[in-house]
Amino acid sequence: MRSIEKVLLEFDPETRNLLPALKKISAAFGYVSEKDAKKTAEYFSIPLSKTYETASFYDLVWTKKQPSLAVQVCSGTNCAVSGSFEVIKEMENYLKIKAGDGFNSKIKLEIISCLGQCGEGPVVVVNGKIFTRVTASGVHGILEEWL
Amino acid sequence: MSNTKIITNNWGKIDPDKIESYIAVGGYSALKKFIRDLDAQTVLAEIKKSGLCGRGGAGFSTGDKLSLVATQGGEKYFICNLDESEPGTHKDRSIVDNNPHVLLEGIILSSLIIGAKKAFIYINGHYEKQKEILEMALEQAEKNEFLGRGIIGSCYDLEVEIFQGAGAYVCGEETALINSMEGNRGEPKLRPPYPTGSGLWGKPTCVNNAETVSNIPWIILNGADAYSKIGAPCSPGTKLYILGGSIRNPGVVEAPTGITIRELIFNFGGGLPRGKEFWFTQIGGASGHLVLESELDTPLTFSRECPVSLGSGAILVVDRSVNIYDLILSWTGFFRRESCGKCLSCREGTFRLHEIAGRLQDGEISDRDKESLKDILWTLNNTTFCPLGKFAATAMGDAILKLKILGD
Ligand SMILES: Cc1cc2nc3c(=O)[nH]c(=O)nc-3n(C[C@H](O)[C@H](O)[C@H](O)COP(=O)(O)O)c2cc1C
Ligand code: SF4
Repeated sequence: MRSIEKVLLEFDPETRNLLPALKKISAAFGYVSEKDAKKTAEYFSIPLSKTYETASFYDLVWTKKQPSLAVQVCSGTNCAVSGSFEVIKEMENYLKIKAGDGFNSKIKLEIISCLGQCGEGPVVVVNGKIFTRVTASGVHGILEEWL
Repeated sequence: MSNTKIITNNWGKIDPDKIESYIAVGGYSALKKFIRDLDAQTVLAEIKKSGLCGRGGAGFSTGDKLSLVATQGGEKYFICNLDESEPGTHKDRSIVDNNPHVLLEGIILSSLIIGAKKAFIYINGHYEKQKEILEMALEQAEKNEFLGRGIIGSCYDLEVEIFQGAGAYVCGEETALINSMEGNRGEPKLRPPYPTGSGLWGKPTCVNNAETVSNIPWIILNGADAYSKIGAPCSPGTKLYILGGSIRNPGVVEAPTGITIRELIFNFGGGLPRGKEFWFTQIGGASGHLVLESELDTPLTFSRECPVSLGSGAILVVDRSVNIYDLILSWTGFFRRESCGKCLSCREGTFRLHEIAGRLQDGEISDRDKESLKDILWTLNNTTFCPLGKFAATAMGDAILKLKILGD
């Protein structure tokens, strides 16, 4: 596995590269840990608080360790009219957690905004893998392989 | 009605991965014409005369915006806004998927016209494949000397860089977009100063939507007069409309501005699928207005007088079988998640709206909720820092007024 130093060295230490660097760290290590945030702050010569200020704003940068199963369901307008809320209900029943509940350390079920895949909805993302035209009855089939 | 195609003209005919196939259909000849025969002043005047206005939602005159930056000296930037995260909107993505070079040619021309040596494409954080297509397009354009130092033997230099967002709707707003490129939280900035005066790193910056930019090569080749004859006189040209929801032929279509909603749904979209009954349509994504059957003959333009603003051009057709409470949860949930939290009225207002939407769904809405709904919508409409607050109140307000979700 790459070290945080190696990832940082890919970027010139200018604040314009802060967001791209944080995204890369988050993708490489699963999230930006406090230790890595400190190293990032040092590398860019900015306060730690500034690093968190930026990191915590964006959906594609995580500042907390992510559960091993992350399920996301799009609830954008097009997905909503093609039944994404039924899919969400079925997921809640099957996974036995509430959507948006941040307390389960192993599983996360999240409602997300449009990914631009409209026309093929409802769209579901499981650990980064995209499923389209998902129906409530198809939920079991999709999640089985991950549980 | 004119059926001129400006942007989708070569879709499906050319290979988006090969610059040669764009050149074979006359691609980059607007750039060549500009370098050989024209100067920035002339082209600016031409773009102003064409009446082209911004396709990112606000409809500001593109010629005027380019001029504001062109008239200033020193370092300046051009940014193509490809953040596109309005729900139901994927027109800019489709441009990249089908013809990335028409966009790139537009970006190069816009940059040279304003005198920028550096341009950026700010692309949606989820558009991984489109980022790769654009990277390849940039490489090929550079090999062909359409980019880099001394563009086709001239003294123009230009570098184009891709900056990818990180999943925040509000970053499509130009000042938030600039904040995010500067390494800050993607919160909107106070305007003025406008980006045209003080934008990226404090330098004059022109931010234009990807669809707007893609019109530029055509205008240079065919002239302002030809362009201004297409569509509605107040905001001429064509527009990409994204048809979705309960419709036979969903997808992106190009049609003139000034077209009616009915024509789009029934002529271009083939109407509703068999057995579905029309209820209403939402124009412009989650932040758009709702339109009933009786208003379908409204022509769509960017003019302030147009009763329904075109916004992103998304047309969502909703039939009677849809659970309206699902849609309300979708709108309110979206704005609650995407509110950047900078101002209280939007941060709290979107949160409360979503809570009430949940109770509506569960059939537990109280009289007190109904009262506060009015207050919340008024506050969102009138007191928020950026237009996102207003967007959050639009569809909900219409649902109360036109769909009578709370009764009469
Ligand atoms: C909340 C919000 C989101 C926006 N999102 C986008 C977007 O995704 N793409 C876009 O081009 N413009 C978006 N805009 C409009 C931009 O601020 C800006 O007006 C536009 O990029 C200017 O380009 P144009 O003149 O070519 O339309 C958004 C505005 C707001 C207030
Ligand atoms: S209106 Fe909403 S999105 Fe806009 S600045 Fe205020 S909190 Fe942020």
